Amino acid sequence: MIELAPRHKFGLPIASPVMPAAGAFGYDDTYHDLVDLHVLGALVTNPVSLNPREAARGPRIAVHGEHFVAHTGLPNPGVKRVLRQYRQTWERLPIPVIVHVIATTPAETAKAAERFSGIPNVVGIELGLVDNVTPQRALNLLDAARADGDLPVIVRVPFTSVDALAPLLADHGADALTLTAPPRAVLPTSDAVDDNEARRYLRGRLYGPAVLPLLLNVLARWCSKLPVPVIACGGIASLQDAIACLELGATALQVDALLWRDPAILQRIAEGLAKFDPSTISE
Amino acid sequence: MISHQLLITSHQSPMVKQQDAIFRQAYPAPPYWVARFDVANPPGPGAFVLADLGGPLREPLFPATIDADGFTAMLPPRHPATRLLPGATVNMLGPLGQGFRLGHATRLLLVAETGSLPPLLPLLEAAPAVALVIEAPTRAQLPPPDRFPPTVELTLVTRDGSAGYLGPLESQDPAPANLQRVMPHLVELIAWAECACFACANDRYPALAAIVRAARIQPPPDFAQALVQVPMPCGVGACEVCRTPTRAGEKHACIDGPVFDMVRNFALTL
Repeated sequence: MIELAPRHKFGLPIASPVMPAAGAFGYDDTYHDLVDLHVLGALVTNPVSLNPREAARGPRIAVHGEHFVAHTGLPNPGVKRVLRQYRQTWERLPIPVIVHVIATTPAETAKAAERFSGIPNVVGIELGLVDNVTPQRALNLLDAARADGDLPVIVRVPFTSVDALAPLLADHGADALTLTAPPRAVLPTSDAVDDNEARRYLRGRLYGPAVLPLLLNVLARWCSKLPVPVIACGGIASLQDAIACLELGATALQVDALLWRDPAILQRIAEGLAKFDPSTISE
Repeated sequence: MISHQLLITSHQSPMVKQQDAIFRQAYPAPPYWVARFDVANPPGPGAFVLADLGGPLREPLFPATIDADGFTAMLPPRHPATRLLPGATVNMLGPLGQGFRLGHATRLLLVAETGSLPPLLPLLEAAPAVALVIEAPTRAQLPPPDRFPPTVELTLVTRDGSAGYLGPLESQDPAPANLQRVMPHLVELIAWAECACFACANDRYPALAAIVRAARIQPPPDFAQALVQVPMPCGVGACEVCRTPTRAGEKHACIDGPVFDMVRNFALTL
């Protein structure tokens, strides 16, 4: 077993280091026809906020070459409806569930995290911080997530804030860190190009192969310095990418939007890592 | 107003499978390109597959014709499928989504903008009597009339009045002296039809639903159906990109649609 929260009283053991990233896999076993869930370490849910959120208006996807930007507005039905709809499914899943909670305000974050405490098979909270969050605000949100619940709290750190936040959060009680949330980027929307009209641009989360070297740079700089496990996330598209993340010190990894194109990638990486000899990892 | 409250549907997701298709050929048929795929389980009218064509996201393919061995899709000229080599294997996810539901309709009305027309094409011979209304910005962007079966009653509409009736479909403005607005004719066709299928820009559906309600006082469920065409990267309701506002809250176009009851989902008032 791999321990994602060694400092937590209950711990967060997972059988495989491979997980889907928040926002890529849905809330439950949506992909059960295409992915053998047994090979995964945990299911990380789509982002959930205390109250319902609507989808962003306007274009939500812009593609350029091998990359794309997505901006959905993190729509979700809110904690109450998510629990009503999915708690029974979660209980039946063969793998544990980590709920991704959108960190809005400390008060809402505390309420949302508390609602998932004690739900069967929910083993942890992944706290999603917004871009440009200040260090003090991030610590307040972490405190809030831990205040009334007894679940381990993983914090997903914004790409541009790793240097400022990662050591701070680790020292402040985060049980693990997900490095990182997708970088922000801007692309022209394809509609504007096709229509030859005034170009419109979409700002959102960047996905694609260029994210991987950025992630590896973050892992190389921070994994050895942090006192908590690191979950690698961003641009992982092959077994070789996954091995690189582990070699650079990550404890586990998340596959993001690539699995929309290739759902079987989760299984291939998990099965490949199961045969991989970790003793070959260089120090 | 359309409600923007969020909805969790009780939709039971059907089995989702991947299958390999063989790309046979692509050729121009202005203003589209036609691409032929051989596949064991083609999608039905209004349903779709997500094809892995080498880009970072799968591409939705709606069938324009369907047979036992596969389907053809009519695509924009620069679509990545037009660059495939004959004989290439294409991985497809699906069939996905809820397609058109015609029931036992004997009089079928199809209404589309030229760019959105191809998903309606499998319905051209789906009923004994079919009327097709096509709207284009101008004459040059209309497909040639002889490309449609002679049994189809064809109505051409242009936004500039260069051919057929004057559009847009939902306009009630007075027409210039030498032109005729399409709206009264469209209302007649809606009154005539037993089922009406629309493929237009999503933001036009509230106005089109109002026309349907004006022509049919209490249309039965699924009398008017609207195909929503939005990016659907995952096809299984996981990515939240295709969330579509409806009267009953936001729905996933990929699993709850892409074909929706137009009046019940998009009418501003009931």
